[in-house]
Amino acid sequence: MPPLATEKLTRNADAYETFHSEGRSLRVMFENDRLTEIRQGENSGLAIRAVKHGKIGFSYSSKQDEVEAVAEAALRMTPFGKSYDFQFASPAKSPHVSVFDERCGKLDAEKLVLLCGAVKDAIKSIAPDATAECSLGGGIGRTRILTSTGQECVENESSYGWFVSAKISEEGNFLSTYRMRSGNRMIPDAEVLQGAREAAQEYLVARKPAPLKPGSYPVLFAPSAVSDLLLPIAVSINGLNIAKKTSPFVEGLGQKLFDQRLTILDDPFHEEGPSGGLYDGEGIVTQKRPIVENGVLKSFVHSLSTAKQAGHAPTGNAARSVSSLPMPGTHNVIMSPGTDDLDALYQRANGGLCIAQLIGTFTSNFLAGQVSGNVSLGYLVQDGRRVGRVKNCALNVNAFDVLKSRILGISKQREWVGSELLPWVLVDGVQISAR
Amino acid sequence: MKDLLTSLAKKSGADYCELRLEDSWQTSVAFSGKDLENVQESHLFGGNVRVAVDGCWGFVTFNNLQDIAPRVKEAVTNARAASRHAKDHSILAPAQPVQVEVRLDAKLDPRRVALKDKIELFAGYNEKMLSHPGVTSSNVRYFDKITRLTYANSEGTWVDRDEIDSGMGGTAISRQGGITGRATCGQGGRDGFERFRNMDLQFEEAAQNAVETAKAPVIQGGTYTVVCDPHLAGVFVHEAFGHLSEGDNVADDPRMQEVLKLGRKFGENYLNIWDTGLDAGLRGFLQYDDEGVPTEKTWLIKDGVLVGRLHSRETAGRMNEKPTGNARAISYRFPPIPRMRNTCIGNGPHGSFNDLIKDIKLGVYALDAYGGQTNGELFTFTAGQAFMIRDGKVAERVRDVTLGGNVFDTLRNITGIAGDYHVQDTAGGCGKGGQMPLPVSHGSPHIKIKDVVIGGQ
Repeated sequence: MPPLATEKLTRNADAYETFHSEGRSLRVMFENDRLTEIRQGENSGLAIRAVKHGKIGFSYSSKQDEVEAVAEAALRMTPFGKSYDFQFASPAKSPHVSVFDERCGKLDAEKLVLLCGAVKDAIKSIAPDATAECSLGGGIGRTRILTSTGQECVENESSYGWFVSAKISEEGNFLSTYRMRSGNRMIPDAEVLQGAREAAQEYLVARKPAPLKPGSYPVLFAPSAVSDLLLPIAVSINGLNIAKKTSPFVEGLGQKLFDQRLTILDDPFHEEGPSGGLYDGEGIVTQKRPIVENGVLKSFVHSLSTAKQAGHAPTGNAARSVSSLPMPGTHNVIMSPGTDDLDALYQRANGGLCIAQLIGTFTSNFLAGQVSGNVSLGYLVQDGRRVGRVKNCALNVNAFDVLKSRILGISKQREWVGSELLPWVLVDGVQISAR
Repeated sequence: MKDLLTSLAKKSGADYCELRLEDSWQTSVAFSGKDLENVQESHLFGGNVRVAVDGCWGFVTFNNLQDIAPRVKEAVTNARAASRHAKDHSILAPAQPVQVEVRLDAKLDPRRVALKDKIELFAGYNEKMLSHPGVTSSNVRYFDKITRLTYANSEGTWVDRDEIDSGMGGTAISRQGGITGRATCGQGGRDGFERFRNMDLQFEEAAQNAVETAKAPVIQGGTYTVVCDPHLAGVFVHEAFGHLSEGDNVADDPRMQEVLKLGRKFGENYLNIWDTGLDAGLRGFLQYDDEGVPTEKTWLIKDGVLVGRLHSRETAGRMNEKPTGNARAISYRFPPIPRMRNTCIGNGPHGSFNDLIKDIKLGVYALDAYGGQTNGELFTFTAGQAFMIRDGKVAERVRDVTLGGNVFDTLRNITGIAGDYHVQDTAGGCGKGGQMPLPVSHGSPHIKIKDVVIGGQ
């Protein structure tokens, strides 16, 4: 990596922060049963926040050797910038050890191609009429942060991820069942192939149509749909909305806002989690912290700026890329398991739905608790099992209400959805619109 | 540069080779509440090489120009590795090589507007919203991006084009009694800064709409006849039919080719849909796509019948059809794939908005859109504002209106198209395959759709 700070910056800025990032990756893609591409990438960049006369300027470049130019641009922006009402990171070392798997930087394209082929075969052996999709890949990278207030931290990162899908697109039936996983180290091929078999078995169930009338139903939200249900909480604990007082939770710390069984942690050190790290995007040492504990709101997620504005302590939750300013965000979101066996929850959902995928929820009014969207993949549940796919239906629920007073059960079993480890959640009385 | 890139492309040893360099300068301004949250000027430089060997692709990106020759070799190595295992090889549809330079033709180049003047303008709009009684927060975001794209391929095509993209969006937020109402307004285009001036009225309306939305009841869920305004109808045609028309959905899947067989009837005779790169000034305007193919107006549905689709050279080659200039990449980090430009529903024979609603006993008038999503068959999007229609008239405002449905049924269920075609560009964009936000446009007149499922209480 090139020098972190130039004379121009150290002499002309009252305070500064430099952020370097570089990485390389390799990914192999199968679509519609065929190998479509081997993609190899390198990325690098440099971002600088400079302070002059109490105001912050920001600039970045994808060329790491443009330190001088970026410093100059950041300084040029300072008259227009936000007030520097916090302090860049001070010297601190994380007591934890970073996870780094060098194998992620030595991926063999041909081995990945062969694994994609095995995924296709695994799907076809169970669901011969499905087409297979598969994407496998990973990479390594390094970030380095230096502040004029004395922090200097370097972190090596590794990543690996897979996505497999069994799908069909035919008259009156577009269907894709999938499994996916990403982590900070290599994932065994056996797990990828198991994911392919599970996607294919789910595909067989989803091929059968099931009728549904509009009405109120018990709904078993699968982990990927639970992720949608948690979006209003994620937005409402975000320091941006706390600092601006647009969150309904501004005065909520210590209050019991949710069901007693709801416990959610933010864990940057989870050994399987893809979004961990010892330092956040501003060089602050990260922490494992409860967000909700036994239904009680315990903390928010803050960057340095939002923590200062809200009058809270920094939480080590600044997320960023080279091209963006640090913004509050969670690391790995870990929802505690419940006490119910998944099979028992299916029994209790009798006559209701299991929702595996929703689309369009991102447009919901999360600050109002709203989660609305089309049920992209949902099942009618009868006799303790999914008997067929329901279509042409939508839901619009208030997640704050659902997670406070309408939870019937939470499963012991959990699955990773991106950087979230989530159980299945059975909810009472969900209004489903259908045609 | 021309000689270097052309030489590398021609001497790569692959069956086909293309190189792309991208040099962008971006200015961003963002207000959050009363604060000027972010002002930045930044530089993005990078490139990629894409090669085909025996019909299989290798794709490599880089940030440093001095790395370009070894990256070509890596791409060829990867493509050869792919070709050893692939059973099905692509053939690129032929495209006439071009050698062109495209320079900016902006009414007011945003670089000629001082940063402080931009900030003052947007601060005024932000203040317009914040000072409105009942508005509790706001945000305004603006960007302009000037890019030089340099492209060469082994067939002799050379395109050196400059482009402007710019957009601005504002959101007013009103929180009353625990209920949050919001409303947006926006503008965008490729013809310079002038279009961002004189927007006070739109920001005032957004503020008023946010306050009224916070007071409105949640809609009763159910199945309704819905009249969409041109903006929402544009989002609908983009999400519900535009994505379906992209060639990579069809080229490799015989069952999809059956579903989307040219000549099939998809709607009433008055339904006409096209995608065009020719509308100068719009964000979807594009003279050459990212494979150096000239763009065009591509008819998708004419008189209710499917007549075309959107192709890259690869998807056109796989289907033995003609490239349409729709191969687009959001940046050098991605290969070009079939994407939309400006996707439109044409004017229909059913008069005005009032003519559309006059026979509706109970329905919904849905305006603006916070965005939408489709899985190919099902779609969903959330209206920015909505009103009930009762006995042929616009009645009370409702909130949290999410429309969903089946693409094919919904196209057949378009029972009215007015004659008031309109395009409203915004700062948003289209997402696909991890490439987001790609600048696109969409236009439509008011349309009436029966049997739309609306999620609600």
